[in-house]
Amino acid sequence: MTATNALIACPECDTLLALKDVEIRHQALCPCCGVVLYQPRNKSIMHTLSLSMTGLILILPANFLPLLSIKLLGNSQEGTLWSGVTGLFQEGLWSVAVLVLLSSIVFPTIIIVLSFLLSVHLYRHRAHRHLALWMRCLQHLEEWAMLEVYMLGIIVACVKLADTTELKFGLGLYAFVSLLVINVLLTQNVDNHLFWQHITKLQANDLKS
Amino acid sequence: MTSNPSALSQGLVRCHECGQVVQISLVNKPCPVCQSQLHARTPHSLQRTTAYLLSSYILYIPANVFPIMNVTQMGVTEEHTILGGILSLIESDMLPIALLVMIASILVPLLKLIGITLLLLNVQLRWQRNARLWTMLYRAICFVGRWSMLDIFMISILVALVDLGSVSKVIAGPAATAFAAVVVLTMFAAKSFDPRLIWDNQSTRKSRP
Repeated sequence: MTATNALIACPECDTLLALKDVEIRHQALCPCCGVVLYQPRNKSIMHTLSLSMTGLILILPANFLPLLSIKLLGNSQEGTLWSGVTGLFQEGLWSVAVLVLLSSIVFPTIIIVLSFLLSVHLYRHRAHRHLALWMRCLQHLEEWAMLEVYMLGIIVACVKLADTTELKFGLGLYAFVSLLVINVLLTQNVDNHLFWQHITKLQANDLKS
Repeated sequence: MTSNPSALSQGLVRCHECGQVVQISLVNKPCPVCQSQLHARTPHSLQRTTAYLLSSYILYIPANVFPIMNVTQMGVTEEHTILGGILSLIESDMLPIALLVMIASILVPLLKLIGITLLLLNVQLRWQRNARLWTMLYRAICFVGRWSMLDIFMISILVALVDLGSVSKVIAGPAATAFAAVVVLTMFAAKSFDPRLIWDNQSTRKSRP
């Protein structure tokens, strides 16, 4: 065990390399295939904690306040993240509805909750028997949370509607954009390598005591 | 290409969840750090990738042939396919947005389908050249995958917003399900492909037992 702890293997080309310390804001690249092996972040745990707390506050307004509203011949209609899902569901496209629900509401929420749980435990040096499981889930869910893609969808929809209808931006849109920024910052700030090192240490201490 | 040996040739295996390097004798047992099952390479990587890829090729046809949404305006219903939606954006002088939608919903899925096919051929036929470039192609496919969801999200917003009875109404079409399935299946295909297989075939790599 002790011998292999000083080694890392590249995830994309399996080159065996010695683990070296990297300065903050620098990257360790694989000499063979060029992938970013690790990238230490400044105060990763504390930043993750504060970002995820902000995210927790924003989740409800971003999901349920109206993002956009349109007005056409005296009729008006509001759209929220949630009503986009229910709209698809009512038209019988339940598989698309589930996909939109997962990638725009459920996964971003789980990512924020998991980042919060992980960073609280690491910040306070508390072990928990599910720490490794949370970290694994977080790594897998990252690419399935698609708030930034949704934002582009909103922009394209606005352009399509702009010349025929009267568009108004709702309070939810501001919450949504903030949530999107928080989510992007979170994925950048979680230093996987550091988190795993801390989890390993906490688990080892937990076993001793 | 490089003097560094692969981890596997040294009797070591990288945990694909937490990155811990362990002895090869632990394969098929839980990882000492994160308890996930250890594998030298992603199990059945080529078979699974091929299966996902074939399904997405098949679904790519209905996704482009059938209408992705039906737009009713003042009692007149129009059917839009993916390509038709882009053409109507060009007609209304929204070239940048049309370009964006074209990249996200036509070029990216095509690039992914062709790219993954080439990666599979590369491993099957043991191509010896440019392993580094092939790994970069794999990375690009992984990065770009989620952006195709743009069209689906746009439809979800339009369906929720434009629901004003006979004045104006947007209904999602059958191609939406097929297109969403293509996006998800190609993401699964990219995830199940193990880029280390490219490097295992390189003759320069087989330096040591």
